[in-house]
Amino acid sequence: MLSRNAVSTCRHRSRACLHAPSRSLASVASSSSSAASSEPSTSKAVLHAAVILNRSPIITRTPTLFERAYYAYQSRIRRALFNPFPTDFYFKTGSLLEKKFAREEKVREREAFGGPWTVKRQGPESEDEVGTSTADQAESMGEEPMDPPAPRIHESDRTGDVKSLDRMSERNLYLLVRGKDHLGNEVWRFPQGGLHEGEHLHQAALRDLTAECGENMDTWIVGKKPIAVHQAPLSESVKKSLGGAELYTFFLKAHILAGQARPNGTNVTDFAWLTKEEIEPRVDQAYWASVKDILSDF
Amino acid sequence: MSAQAATRAPRLAATAGRSIRRTRPAPQLKPLKRDEKGLPVPHVHVVVRDTHRSRLADHYHNTLQDDLLYMTYVHEPTPRPPPRPPRLTYDPNDPYTKHRFNPPLGGNRWSKQLPPPASPDNIIQLERIQIHSQIKQATVSRTNLLGPIMALRAISGANDQAGGQHTAEGVQIVRGRKNLQGWVRPGIPVGVKVDLKGPQMWDFLSILVEFVLPRLRDFQGIPLEGPSNRLDKPHSASGVVSFGLPPTALGLFPQIEVNYDAYPAPFGMHIHFVTSAKGVGAQNRARALLSGFQIPFARS
Repeated sequence: MLSRNAVSTCRHRSRACLHAPSRSLASVASSSSSAASSEPSTSKAVLHAAVILNRSPIITRTPTLFERAYYAYQSRIRRALFNPFPTDFYFKTGSLLEKKFAREEKVREREAFGGPWTVKRQGPESEDEVGTSTADQAESMGEEPMDPPAPRIHESDRTGDVKSLDRMSERNLYLLVRGKDHLGNEVWRFPQGGLHEGEHLHQAALRDLTAECGENMDTWIVGKKPIAVHQAPLSESVKKSLGGAELYTFFLKAHILAGQARPNGTNVTDFAWLTKEEIEPRVDQAYWASVKDILSDF
Repeated sequence: MSAQAATRAPRLAATAGRSIRRTRPAPQLKPLKRDEKGLPVPHVHVVVRDTHRSRLADHYHNTLQDDLLYMTYVHEPTPRPPPRPPRLTYDPNDPYTKHRFNPPLGGNRWSKQLPPPASPDNIIQLERIQIHSQIKQATVSRTNLLGPIMALRAISGANDQAGGQHTAEGVQIVRGRKNLQGWVRPGIPVGVKVDLKGPQMWDFLSILVEFVLPRLRDFQGIPLEGPSNRLDKPHSASGVVSFGLPPTALGLFPQIEVNYDAYPAPFGMHIHFVTSAKGVGAQNRARALLSGFQIPFARS
């Protein structure tokens, strides 16, 4: 009878972890996840860990003209179908505050639906109610007027500075570095490196990222599992030098929270923060085929 | 036959008109409602939909959904073995009990089920947020519920059938179900609750995360359960994360802060985040989802 109090490894799902530390959400990493012995005994494998470092969007997507019209239309309908405001709960009947609220509501109604639709009887008086700007309203409430928001298009969008982390604020950016691949050629690729003895994939990924791109970045690796794998086609001579083993590169996703990349200058010389479409022409076709489906289109 | 007689005896109506199908009586057209001037108000089928892009909904679809897929994925190299047939209450072969309702002995053990195999179609999502508050003073006088109802209405923006959506329920009154001496009787109003879905839910979540939680005194995070907590109990397998706010938190909501004096007495509330996660360890997956919205969790 299986003991319910035993913590068992989740190698096979039938024996679920019934007690697990709340911290580790992913299933317990089985001990042979990253060792080369996970391969069948016929061929050996050399593993590399790469990091897809993602800068998430900073601002929401710009709405299209249709979306703006749709949302404006729905807002006006919502306002038209509002339940009547419970003035008797919030204001004393006939009080000055109630009258002030009624005046402000009229302004908001006019803003939403236009108007006035009635014949102007008293010309000069009706001008006073309309058109109190938001800055004046804020000042009358005793608050400081708010600064206008920053522009949606950054300086780096105009200059095309691909090293800037503020470029393309609506899109997902990924860190691409120019460095040597396994054959020694200078290519654009994601930061990667090898695994040490007994090291897990996610530990190697973090170590390789800081080794290639410096420690000046605040990053977080998503989980412990790889999200893609690339098997680079090897020539016979390279295969012999690796001892007849296949080379697998496992990609892990990470987010950058602060800082900037600083290439180490030895095996990595340059870097760029690029969107999915900008990565495609720079990387090798086989590499792109392994990686394209995990990059975001937005 | 007249329409009224047909309503009372539909079978006779069918035979009288020589129709095999049961005929439905003609709909009784209700007279139109009249406004204060006596003019009829026509019924208009207008439903209000999204009035703006929800920032947190976009964040979920841009970033969180992918991350959660990677974090909650469990690799199953072999298909699952078929589950053991449960022990049923009655013998299904015995002709005396053959067609009887036959539940499994010990219940259907829903909380002990493993979650379904991980796939891009069943990534955890936030389904709704429920705010519930028990008002003890409501047993003394029902008018003590009015302030909490208005406050929850201001916080949530929910109204009964708001925007022409007939499933929108707005702020509901919670009534007692059991008879407990000196506290509650069946049927008396005891609390208020409101269910938030869609854009209202995302707006409430962003206000909670940006305005309320950072300004709450002595709040390090939603308490986490320790390692001895079992993951296959109903509480842990339901995919619901709950926590409470003290009465002092009410004034931190900007909708309440603007006219705080209008509400007679501050009250605390319980907030339940209902997600689509089910099965063993569902609450842990729900906590991972909520962490993505910047809700802190802390060891108690």
